[in-house]
Amino acid sequence: MSREGQRLGCGGAGGIGIGVLSLDMLGQVLDRLREPRDHKACRLVSHALERAEAAHRRALRALRREPLPRLLRAFPALEQLDLSACASLDDASLAAAVAGADLGIRRVCLARASGVGWRGLEALVAACPRLEAVDLSHCVGAGDREAAALAAAAGLRELRLDKCLGVTDMGLAKVAVGCPRLEKLSVKWCREISDIGVDLLAKKCRELRSLDISYLQVGNGSLKSISYLGKLEELAMVACSCIDDEGLELLSKGSNSLQTVDVSRCDHVTSQGLASLIHGHNFLQKLHAADCLHEIGQCFLSKLATLKETLTVLKLDGLEVSVSLLEAIGEGCDNLVEIGLSKCSGVTDEGISSLVARCSHLRTIDLTCCNLITNNALDLIADNCKMVECLRLESCSLINEKGLDWIATCCPNLKEIDLTDCGVNDAALQPLAKCSELLILKLGLCSSISDKGLAFISSNCGKLVELDLYRCNSVTDDGLAALVNGCKKIKLLNLCYCNKITDGGLIHLGSLEELTNLELRCLARITGIGISSIAIGCKSLIELDLKHCYSVDDAGLWALARYALNLRQLTISYCQVTGLGLCHLLSSLRSLQDIKMVHLSWVSIEGFEMALRVTCGRLKKLKMLSGLKTVLSPELLQMLQSCGCRIRWVNKPLVYKD
Amino acid sequence: MSSCSSPWSTMDGNQNDICGQSANLTSNPLYYQFGLDNPLFGMGIQQPFPPSTSPFGASSSTNIPHMDWKPAMMLDNLTFIEEKIRQVKDVIRSMVDNGGQLPGRTGDIVQQQQAVNADLTCLIVQLISTAGSLLPSLKNSSFLSHPPAGHMDMANHVGSSSSMVPYTTISEENNEVMCSPEDYDELFKGLTDGTVEGGIEIDNVLVEEQDTKDGDEGGDAGMDGENLLPGSYELLQLEKDEILAPHTHFCSICGKGFKRDANLRMHMRGHGDEYKSPAALAKPPRDASTEHAMVKRYSCPFVGCKRNKLHKNFQPLKTILCMKNHYKRSHCEKSYTCSQCHTKKFSVLADLKTHEKHCGHVKWLCSCGTSFSRKDKLFAHVALFQGHTPALPSEESKVSDQVGRVGSHQEPAKLTSSMGSFMWDNSSGDDTVLDIKGLDSCGDDFLSTANFGSFNFSFGPLDEIKGNPSEGSFAMLPSEHFQSVREKGEN
Repeated sequence: MSREGQRLGCGGAGGIGIGVLSLDMLGQVLDRLREPRDHKACRLVSHALERAEAAHRRALRALRREPLPRLLRAFPALEQLDLSACASLDDASLAAAVAGADLGIRRVCLARASGVGWRGLEALVAACPRLEAVDLSHCVGAGDREAAALAAAAGLRELRLDKCLGVTDMGLAKVAVGCPRLEKLSVKWCREISDIGVDLLAKKCRELRSLDISYLQVGNGSLKSISYLGKLEELAMVACSCIDDEGLELLSKGSNSLQTVDVSRCDHVTSQGLASLIHGHNFLQKLHAADCLHEIGQCFLSKLATLKETLTVLKLDGLEVSVSLLEAIGEGCDNLVEIGLSKCSGVTDEGISSLVARCSHLRTIDLTCCNLITNNALDLIADNCKMVECLRLESCSLINEKGLDWIATCCPNLKEIDLTDCGVNDAALQPLAKCSELLILKLGLCSSISDKGLAFISSNCGKLVELDLYRCNSVTDDGLAALVNGCKKIKLLNLCYCNKITDGGLIHLGSLEELTNLELRCLARITGIGISSIAIGCKSLIELDLKHCYSVDDAGLWALARYALNLRQLTISYCQVTGLGLCHLLSSLRSLQDIKMVHLSWVSIEGFEMALRVTCGRLKKLKMLSGLKTVLSPELLQMLQSCGCRIRWVNKPLVYKD
Repeated sequence: MSSCSSPWSTMDGNQNDICGQSANLTSNPLYYQFGLDNPLFGMGIQQPFPPSTSPFGASSSTNIPHMDWKPAMMLDNLTFIEEKIRQVKDVIRSMVDNGGQLPGRTGDIVQQQQAVNADLTCLIVQLISTAGSLLPSLKNSSFLSHPPAGHMDMANHVGSSSSMVPYTTISEENNEVMCSPEDYDELFKGLTDGTVEGGIEIDNVLVEEQDTKDGDEGGDAGMDGENLLPGSYELLQLEKDEILAPHTHFCSICGKGFKRDANLRMHMRGHGDEYKSPAALAKPPRDASTEHAMVKRYSCPFVGCKRNKLHKNFQPLKTILCMKNHYKRSHCEKSYTCSQCHTKKFSVLADLKTHEKHCGHVKWLCSCGTSFSRKDKLFAHVALFQGHTPALPSEESKVSDQVGRVGSHQEPAKLTSSMGSFMWDNSSGDDTVLDIKGLDSCGDDFLSTANFGSFNFSFGPLDEIKGNPSEGSFAMLPSEHFQSVREKGEN
């Protein structure tokens, strides 16, 4: 229980102290709680707070479908409903949950809820007359009918249909006609949508402020239609290979108020097109042109200077840059907050020097794979950009502790640093420990990092949320012990191939209550004992990767089945588990939605068959050996697929790794 | 002849005749001839089409001013015609009495037929010339500017024309023709030799009009873009049965009918080497005189129709094909049902075929029920009208939800499907036998008996598509399912 929770619960026993406060007041109090765990603590400790929560709760994230009807009635003030992680949610359960209720829900997230189809959506829309935002992304089975069901929500303002692979122009047209007040729409990856659909959208939804047409096969015609959207501020068209300079010119002649444009990976866009785009939109704030430009023309640079006041984000990943170019950018855009130069060849210390000389507001600097830069560049960044929060230096192998020391000294706000494959050692981590705000630290492939380095981190970086120690194979159990001492907030931890780690280390990790994602790939020494302590201790665990953990057996699965009730994603490929353990695991874990089980040599066909049958349609993703495709019963596979489960069949030989 | 005034019996008669049934022969000599190899009959039908081509002379228009109207000569002519008709009737009756053999194909009666043919030719020519002599006088009395009176007159003429001399009204007078019966043979020869341009003109017209048929229904297409003053063109009105007659070109030897003269010429090759010469096969050149001839326009025989000349906002039809299609589309039963969707009905076979080309492909439907062959057209429509939205095609799952609906329409759908194929077989069969492209009405009598199925049941496209998914959407879920879920929720 957090500090706040304790403080509020102090009058707890009978709840009398708190009970004298009005529900409104208590609601205000509860609104100030951030962690869901604290809410739970409050709820448990006082009836008054429980009542207040019932009356005031606005957001709900359901993990299982069974309590959904009760929850929706228990919280009448609910405005946001997140069903993205709700296991085995299907049309019938969703419809039953919302049936007859007049819900005030405004926002619903159904991302990856692949079991929900148009019937469920229709029921939802009918039950939530005030619906404003729906996220249906990654429901790969969703198509026009689902879009049509959503289109019945006339008040819809935001809609995400990313990767709803079945949505075509027809579905888009349904939405365009049905939801004229739409302000934000994402149809990323809906590959069936063409210019015709976009054109109709632009004609019908005049209120659009944000539009994402990334990965669509639409052409310049779409941009012409879009250019008439007067209120459009954000436009993403990543990897639209049919769009070229002509389209951007059409866009620039339009009447939008574009502030953010993303033309990343648009192969046919050149700096000429971007220049014309800038010409038409003098207030552009964010320009993403990653992996689309090959060279920068003078016209683009001169246009870029006209954005001097406004431009804050510029991404030029994959471009061949020169000192003069970086200088021009530095002079032209001195309000830059974020610059992306990932994989840009030709970025040197000199270039960085001319860039940062005037861009003192930079907060995010991406220098991934700019492997010419040295400590000098880091010094220059540290000297000029005191506000830096995020520094990505993957594969910059010429840097070392000296550069990082200056960064850590000058940039106290540093929240994220990526040192993957930089070859840094423990000495580099010592200065980094000065950054007490550090949230994300990536040290993958830095094999010289050892327990000592982790001890430095743990000493001061108590806010650390994500730590990547991929292939840091000098790290041992002691290092983990030191780590969990100081960094108790870690949610994401990657220990893949740190093969010195044993059950002892995992027992330490068991004290990380907030850990959600844990990757333990190829830790051949860990067994069921270590897994048990993680399952018992890490109550928030959502994703666990045990691939190639050859010593993990049924005992580990039993522990997971018994304790890791929130586990949603699990990889147990190559583990020494049997059919019985698998059956038990899959029948017990009611939140499990994604399991990878390749090369489970000890599991018989009947074991797989039984195990998959007991999942009762909870699985949404499944990875298995393709040999099983023919031996598993067709009804089973059909049942799985009808529940929205996608099966990935792999065919690879059994190879043991160390 | 009398039976010609009733269009449907005519149709049946034609049909039967084509099919080789001789049942009507006794009662209706016309059809006998029709079945017989009467070249002139065929030619007679052709004659209306060539605008202003007179079969009887090089340039008929020049003759008009000099003609004058002699009642005595007229009477003579009519008497002659009467006499001739009686003779022909006798001959034919004797043929019928001789055993009612199937006409046409047996060699025995060929000679007889030729005799009859000659007589009929004679008759036709006589009638044409007689009536032709009448025409300019009608014109002189400016009947066009006084529609009611003129109409009556015209109707009479056209009415009589429906049998032997169908289109006398349109051929201009030619004095020379009238004089000697000996000329008839020569004329006949001329006709069959193809020296007189008739068929080929029609051919052109037909070909040209294929393109314009769509506009026909549009309301203004008949006079699209042109502003002909009444009287500045020649107005013609055909009778229903003429409009509905299937063919316009007939083989002078075997009687087979064709829609196009070019097809007829190809067919003729089979009748002897003389038809194989390049000259016989070549498309007869267009007569120069046609260029200067008066423009022709057509009136729909359906009184009350906007295309009927009695209508106060009368808009004439440009060509004979326009008129045919207009009449069928607007005033006839839509007796062709699409064998795939069982929904769309057409009265013009070509329309059905056009539809069937696209039917079964993805149809682009609007919520208002309008369907489009192209997606962009649908989207343009949706963009234009507030509240219209594309209708999603029906899905199997969706259909199975609506158990009641399925029960109500599945049966007739099956019925028509079988019917459809039946019809189709027949019409295509006719097609091959008659070697006719786009045969317009061959399926008519099959349809008229088969119609009940397709007509009784009709559901608009929207019945299937729109539905109301919100009701009964969950019908397939067992109610216990809900119950159990609710219980779980309450626990």
